[in-house]
Amino acid sequence: MNQLLVKNVLLLAGLLFFQPLFAQQRQIKGRVLTPDQEPLVGATVQVPGTQNATLTSTDGSFQLTLSSGSKILRISYIGYETQEVTLTSQTNLTVQLQPDSKVLNDVVITGYSTQNRKEIVGSVAKINGDDLKNIPAAAGFNQLLQGKLTGVQVNSNSGVPGGGITFRIRGNNSINASVDPLYVIDGVFVSNSEPIRTGMGQQQQSNPLADINPADIESIQVLKDANATAIYGSLGANGVVIVTTKRGRLNTKAKITANVSHGWSSAVKKFQSTTGPETATLVNESVRNSAIDRGVDPSTVTLPFPDPSTVPTYDRISDIFRVASTANYDLSAQGGSAQSTYFAGLSYTNQESIVKPSGFERYTLRFNYDNYLTSKLKLGNSINISRTYRNVSSNDNNPTGVINSAIFPRSYVPIYNEDGTYARAGSFDNHMALIKNLNNNAVGWRTIGNVFAELTILPELVLRSSWSVDNSDMYENNYSNTLIAAGIATKGSASSYETKNLILTNEQVLTYIKSFGEKHRINALIGNTFNTVRYEGTSAFGQNFASNDLTSIDVAATTTGSSSRNKNKLVSFFGKATYTYDGRFTFDASLRADASSKFGADRRWGYFPSGGFAWNAGNEAFLKNQNVLSDLKFRASWGLSGNQNGIGSYAAQGLWSSGFNYLDAAGIAPSQLENRRLTWETTRQIDIGTEFSFLQNRLSFVFDYYNKYTYDLLLNVPVPSRSGFTTYLQNYGAVRNKGVEFSFHSENVAGKDFRWSTDFNISFNRNRIEKLASDIAQGASGRNISILRQGYSVNSFQLYKQLYVDPQTGNAVYEDVNNDGIITSADRQIVGNALPKFSGGLTNTLSYKRFDLNFLFYFQQGNKIMSMHDFFLVHGGTQNFIGFIPRQLERWQNPGDVTDIPRLTTYSGNPTVNGGASNNYGGNVANQSSRYLLDGSFIRLRNVALNYNLPTSLVQKARLSSARVYVQGANLLTFTKFTGLDPEVSSQSNNQNTAGYDWATVPQPRTILVGLSLTL
Amino acid sequence: MKKLYKPCSKLAVAITLLSLTSCQKYLEEYPSNALPAASAITDAGTARAAINGAYARVQSYYASSYPTLGTITTDNVVFNGTLSQYLQLDQNAVTPDNAITLDVYQSVYRAVNTANSIIAYVPEVKDPNLGATEKNTILGEAYFIRALGYFDLARGWGGVQLQLKPTINLDDLKGIKRSTLEQTYDQVLADLIKAEELLPEDAATRNRAQKSVARALRARLHLYRKQWAEAETYASQVIDNRKYSLVKPYKSFFTSPFLSQESVFELSFSINNRNSYWNLWYPSSLGGQYTLKPSATLITKLTNPNQGGSRSALLAGTGNNVYGVLYNTSSTSTDPAYLIRIAELYLIRAEARAQQNKLSQGLADLNTVRARADVPASTVATQTELLLAIEEENNLEFAFEAHRWFDLVRTARVGAVLGLTNTNYWVFPFPYQDVLSDPDLEQNLGY
Repeated sequence: MNQLLVKNVLLLAGLLFFQPLFAQQRQIKGRVLTPDQEPLVGATVQVPGTQNATLTSTDGSFQLTLSSGSKILRISYIGYETQEVTLTSQTNLTVQLQPDSKVLNDVVITGYSTQNRKEIVGSVAKINGDDLKNIPAAAGFNQLLQGKLTGVQVNSNSGVPGGGITFRIRGNNSINASVDPLYVIDGVFVSNSEPIRTGMGQQQQSNPLADINPADIESIQVLKDANATAIYGSLGANGVVIVTTKRGRLNTKAKITANVSHGWSSAVKKFQSTTGPETATLVNESVRNSAIDRGVDPSTVTLPFPDPSTVPTYDRISDIFRVASTANYDLSAQGGSAQSTYFAGLSYTNQESIVKPSGFERYTLRFNYDNYLTSKLKLGNSINISRTYRNVSSNDNNPTGVINSAIFPRSYVPIYNEDGTYARAGSFDNHMALIKNLNNNAVGWRTIGNVFAELTILPELVLRSSWSVDNSDMYENNYSNTLIAAGIATKGSASSYETKNLILTNEQVLTYIKSFGEKHRINALIGNTFNTVRYEGTSAFGQNFASNDLTSIDVAATTTGSSSRNKNKLVSFFGKATYTYDGRFTFDASLRADASSKFGADRRWGYFPSGGFAWNAGNEAFLKNQNVLSDLKFRASWGLSGNQNGIGSYAAQGLWSSGFNYLDAAGIAPSQLENRRLTWETTRQIDIGTEFSFLQNRLSFVFDYYNKYTYDLLLNVPVPSRSGFTTYLQNYGAVRNKGVEFSFHSENVAGKDFRWSTDFNISFNRNRIEKLASDIAQGASGRNISILRQGYSVNSFQLYKQLYVDPQTGNAVYEDVNNDGIITSADRQIVGNALPKFSGGLTNTLSYKRFDLNFLFYFQQGNKIMSMHDFFLVHGGTQNFIGFIPRQLERWQNPGDVTDIPRLTTYSGNPTVNGGASNNYGGNVANQSSRYLLDGSFIRLRNVALNYNLPTSLVQKARLSSARVYVQGANLLTFTKFTGLDPEVSSQSNNQNTAGYDWATVPQPRTILVGLSLTL
Repeated sequence: MKKLYKPCSKLAVAITLLSLTSCQKYLEEYPSNALPAASAITDAGTARAAINGAYARVQSYYASSYPTLGTITTDNVVFNGTLSQYLQLDQNAVTPDNAITLDVYQSVYRAVNTANSIIAYVPEVKDPNLGATEKNTILGEAYFIRALGYFDLARGWGGVQLQLKPTINLDDLKGIKRSTLEQTYDQVLADLIKAEELLPEDAATRNRAQKSVARALRARLHLYRKQWAEAETYASQVIDNRKYSLVKPYKSFFTSPFLSQESVFELSFSINNRNSYWNLWYPSSLGGQYTLKPSATLITKLTNPNQGGSRSALLAGTGNNVYGVLYNTSSTSTDPAYLIRIAELYLIRAEARAQQNKLSQGLADLNTVRARADVPASTVATQTELLLAIEEENNLEFAFEAHRWFDLVRTARVGAVLGLTNTNYWVFPFPYQDVLSDPDLEQNLGY
């Protein structure tokens, strides 16, 4: 197939670019070398302004026939300064190119092409791998981007190592389709879908991108606007994160780097509960008050605790926390010969969670290799193999999770029975039993690999064909023995899951980059993609084991199993052209056509055009002769991109599912309504930006405004239950995200010994649901606290707005929204949302001689957090088996008390009375009071890193080329009004529409890490 | 990898030709675990599978949610867990987003839609393997399941919207308003009459609908509608069937193996199709959640030999840790859902007779049930006393089944017994998401 393709393309290229050559005048030969006298392979040797060009071969030599008028040769190679050589009569040239670090930094990888930053019309943020090395204790590279880039909001959902994160580029575009960006690693579309199936409440269990070792990364580019992402068409609507891993350079000496670091993490704040006597007092008070509310004389009621002061206190919370250790080991080799380059990396990471017994372990192996078979044909590959191990335990809404079992039971309940066995209360398990016996292991194997061939047909025409695979395999084995609640009744219960996600991608891209004369430059490409995504899952369950030492399902008394699979395909064609005139004006246009097997047969194809324009005013004559403004650029872009991720493979089909069996005979039942018209969710985006810098680029600014409108939402529209269905996937609804982004970089001091630079960025995004069929409420395990409503942003919270606690009665009074005098569900209202109004970061880098210091403040403002922790643990006595947190002690007690925590009572009569006792903690309000909605804004010293480079003399004695010791700290300071453990939390994160809950989740730890890096 | 793309390999060349038609086939993908809706019921195999699917849908609300609605809402069972949906039911302060009422409401309509599809499509099936008798059985079962679904909705929510055709597209739903309670019950009756006509009757089957099952539900329907004579007639028809008898001791009907003589209709579960309702009843030291706990008054009554008798077997544990063991297969999770037991038919007839002032006959039926539980015969004399005694017998006989709440609502005794005087709260709220998405649905008052 490729051969055929190559032939066709050659033919096509020949037709387009063939020009008759003039009579031969003379021949010139030569070699192109690096400063180290190593040959440069594949450098372009060209007579400027003509088609006459060639590439250097494997020994760096070239041969070119020149016409009579040729006076100059231009020699260029990426990463080196372009050189022009004036031709004399000599026929054998030796040219030495100088490496150019500045040019490298200015090159930006956009969709399928590499462009000079000045010629980019879209909004692209770039970060170098080196900038990520200062952040300790984050398993996924995407987590490291927090506070670094504009328009990118990154939050960890919990403090569990390798756990889920929320990553949004310019807001949530969708409601039911995915809102995660497309991740492209070395040209491979990688899966970001959750592979772990062990239930952990509503928590997103893992960050699938933690399979990549951040130390392998050369650079990360984030494509934000439609012009940059449209080339990824159907995949690009949520932005694209392009990760380029390290590769060797031709003709460079092997560089071997070893890096070792160790760290320690602990909780900044721990959960709290009321003491035994406090709990007893509260319970007594609740019983007494409830009697009064029921019209019973309280003196006739028997109090559960006649003398609260004698009630004991048992501390469970200290048991679950620990000082968690982290260890990282990295070894890499990088270099290249005349024809080939390599990067090989090995790493091992082990991170414990600060809450027992979770942990994360990762081994990675990377091998990137490029080989110039001939001067025109390059073959390369990138392979990453990783193995992860997670010891998982559930959080949030699982009463038998470790945290729940420690924070919910009342503090006077003993931990052990008198006979020494584990004591349990209510629905909760015993936390010590869990810590010692939880046995949930998830082992993931991930192979991300890509093999490509690059054929330089003409110096300006390159064909690349790439074959990629992302194969992820997760093997989970869980065993609940008879000492933990989940295994008691079943005499031991085990489950095993094998999950495979396979993405196969094949792409052909033909790139044409050429200058015509001095003023015209064209950068164009066409290409196609075939993409197949395949999911396969098998599970097995076993119960009833002879002994706790037997954990394998094959020896269980009863066993069951199941398996499922699905597959979807995508076919795409795309083209893009950029034209630059005189380095001043750039015009850009692209078109992509995609067809997905997921959609209705009638509406499979989607077309995604984009266009953009940039004006490099800095290159205008009128700005040439001044010293203040060093650069000035304006750009604007418009485009469409699509989304099909996050919906089922067969979402458009009307289905009767099997598995509805009865009496062990096969059964089927309707499961999905057909939608033949189901098609692409489309995002239209406008971006206007400007970039300018002063004083030889020492002070530079980037400013962007964007307006994204996503329509034809792939929306699970709730339908009346009487249809026999609950939702219907339709293209209905619209969401808008608009915002501004601002960043600046300043070289404050650039002396010889002392350098200081500051980077600041801030992003404002406003999300609004423009069109929705009807309200969609969900979240908090059926309590519907999250709501999607037209005119409001996604992730809004709807609660009963508590106005005050009546100082006379102690009862909570809520806003009667519809003024009907009673409190019913119609009085719930949107009282805030989980999206920050703005977020950003401030990085300072100082270096003095051999020291450098880097610290980053991250901030976000305006987001609310629903504290389910308060919701459950400030219950007024209504929950017989649940203890209290100290906030309950602030309850109203006597007339005149002013507080927001109402009088304790379990009375439930007359639930519609506003200011009645029943709505304090129960009633129609059912404790869904705005008093538990907390401000989640915070500013945090995200990381501090101090590096010391050992003196050269010392380093050389040890035969090293460099050595660095460092100390890093994470989350050292946090400023927030949030009263929970940590404001960076999202416990219901497996659903993008239920962000912003705090519910028995591991908090973000504070980490100190020391390390040593040696380069040979 | 190359092979995967073979159907489309020509396309790579065709970039310039822009010939995309052959992609159409390449892009067709079908699931391996589901059938296209348009051809779901086409032959004997799929018709049988469809009726199994309908039973499975009934199981999904009878396994735990429906019995929970009938028990924790009353004085027999108290909330003892953490999940506030159960707390709300216990306090009779149910919100429209209550997860249990939502689950029941959605599951019933799923069962109804499956039954509607069977009623619509099975008559069209032309397959020699599906004879007229089997076709009738399947149809009869579908009618029964639809009747049961609407009955269970009506006694929980009042009159509901009547869907009688399979949902193919959403436009078909428009304009269907709530029917009155009487209209809903009329629909139940109509379906039960058809079901009785079509269903078979044999001497052994207890976990699928049969003529007697339709009659038993009909007896209950007439009781709910205060049609005493018919209730008595249909109850008698079932009682007189020698297939059924009260088993002794009491606990044998809920002891494995199930499907005792007692059982008129129960839904069986198995290792592959589990019912872990026990988990809500058992304390965590035994691996359960202990969300549902027998109340102190119920414990007193059940353990009293003159009240509970051998029904004390419904309880286990001591002191503060007494728990209910009607659902007790904690190691295998195979407890059936108990829908109709013969004891109920005796109590239906007792009540119907008492209402018709046939006091001695009514008392005899009551005492049959008491005798089985080894409780001394009742000697009540007046109609009022007899009715109260029957109410109490229902309470103890069906302590952990879907009865008490619905009985108290039916007899308008919720206020007197539970102290819940506001009649608005005698029906459950329609789910919040239905109220939002369905302009034809009118919420019950007070929610």
